[in-house]
Amino acid sequence: MTDPQRTVADEPPPFLGTWKRIYILVVIYLACVIGLFYWFTKSFAPSSPI
Amino acid sequence: MRALDWAVMFAWLVFLVSYGLWRGRGSSSTQEFMLASKTMPWYAMGLSIIATQASAITFISTTAQAYVDGMRFVQFYFGLPLAMVILSATAVPIFHRAKVYTAYEYLEHRFDAKTRLLVTVIFLISRGLGAGLALSAPAIVLSVVLGWPFRVTILIMGGLVILYTALGGIKAVTWADVLQMAMIMLALLIAFGVAIWMLPPDISFFNALKLAGAAGKLNAVTTTFDWNDRYNIWSGLIGGMFLALAYFGTDQSQVQRYLTGKSIGQSRLGLILTALAKVPMQFFILFIGAMVFVVFLFVRPPLVFQPVAMEQVQASSQYAALESRYEQAFDQRQAAARGIVSSAPDALRDFRAAQTNLDAARADALNLSGANDTNYIFLSFVTRYLPVGIVGLVVAVIFTAAMSAISGEINSLATVTVIDIYKRHMAKDSPDSHYLWASRVATVFWGIYAMVFASTATGFGALIEAVNQVGSLFYGGMLGVFVLAFFVKRCTATGAFVGVLAGEAAIFTTARFTGAFLWYNVVGCLVVVAVGWCISLVQARNK
Repeated sequence: MTDPQRTVADEPPPFLGTWKRIYILVVIYLACVIGLFYWFTKSFAPSSPI
Repeated sequence: MRALDWAVMFAWLVFLVSYGLWRGRGSSSTQEFMLASKTMPWYAMGLSIIATQASAITFISTTAQAYVDGMRFVQFYFGLPLAMVILSATAVPIFHRAKVYTAYEYLEHRFDAKTRLLVTVIFLISRGLGAGLALSAPAIVLSVVLGWPFRVTILIMGGLVILYTALGGIKAVTWADVLQMAMIMLALLIAFGVAIWMLPPDISFFNALKLAGAAGKLNAVTTTFDWNDRYNIWSGLIGGMFLALAYFGTDQSQVQRYLTGKSIGQSRLGLILTALAKVPMQFFILFIGAMVFVVFLFVRPPLVFQPVAMEQVQASSQYAALESRYEQAFDQRQAAARGIVSSAPDALRDFRAAQTNLDAARADALNLSGANDTNYIFLSFVTRYLPVGIVGLVVAVIFTAAMSAISGEINSLATVTVIDIYKRHMAKDSPDSHYLWASRVATVFWGIYAMVFASTATGFGALIEAVNQVGSLFYGGMLGVFVLAFFVKRCTATGAFVGVLAGEAAIFTTARFTGAFLWYNVVGCLVVVAVGWCISLVQARNK
């Protein structure tokens, strides 16, 4: 079979400079999304428990 | 469906299959057939990964999940972005640098042939079941909606998938997915727009939110921990992360997608795109289900959503009484809903009482037919209320979404069969053209297998849960062995092998005590790592 790898080059991300910063951004983004969903849940929760 | 709907549906089917064949043309080597010669850009990989997950099951079942149980299913995806980050940092560079075609090939580099074979067999069993389910589940629903015999539906779906996957390989699969993803989003936006448009003039969008909330449908986040509760923030973040780690890190149907990347960076970006898009997308799909529920507060839904079951109920002597109960409960619920909007006292109490009566009438009707109509709720909405032509488009997108999921699965099953079984154990030194031919034969084999399995597997409830439950029985064990391979340098081959067996035993034991399947992945992974590490330690001491 032919060599499966034409290239295995790593490269920096297109923004923020390092992959570590990208990963931190994803985690912050997730925290914001969950926080937003929590606010959404509380805002429209029934006034008495179901 | 009207003539225009049928025309739109067939036009989309022909267009998508032709597009897949065109993009997959010239797959003349195994490298091209299995890895697209490592030419895929990040957005194609990312969209393809999302499209494979946003299969027909997403349309049919996720919307229904929100209709029945509220939006809490979104928590299932909370761990996914974390898993994407971990995999981008670990698995992506390791697999790329190991120069492998399959994830399991790496296990032989790291451990030995028997560990690779064991995990390969586990993958073939679990993914084989998954492929059958992915074909069967939507085929059951579509055959009823389209009025086609079940086996004919399977034959058409399976036949088209085999055609473009066997000829075009991973390139055809990935590029067809990109197009599919665009159409999925368009169809969802149309369905959402129609749901909002169907609200009565006196019910604003904010009122719709208020009603969905009052009915308990906007429960996106549950912070209370309960071991037996399938979906809360903890099971989503921890169990969901383990499931996503296992699915995207060890399941060849996903690993193969990011192995097609031009570089490590492109593969990482593909996963980051998935991390950013998946949770909001699932939220939106569930939100559509919640809005469909609100629409059906004012537009009377059928007693039973499954058309064939409805006919059985209508033929029964109890039909008139059931229909009368249902009608009365619907009227009471509608009046209570308007009371909630105008903040009338006791409106919420009346609403719940009416909902209980309505659910009881529906349950009695479903008992008469013995059917579960959860998976027909969204399609019932689509076929009854969307404009002519758009109905055909949405049904066609659901049809091809099922094909998209299956094509990725049979392509990965074929790749593993050829690379990890056939080439490794049966025909070691054949020319590349022979393996390419074998890959196409294996694709046809797995396609036929999925069709045969699908035609015998029926009777699942919520499809999305069934698919993830089957996966969770195996993923924990597979994830555990890759954790050992990546992070436990001293782990021996025997430790890894016995660890996987122990992990699978632990998962099946856990499944006897709880149906909260997200935790199976955590339990399985931890047992594999613990047993593998202990055995390796004992072996090191004995030496």
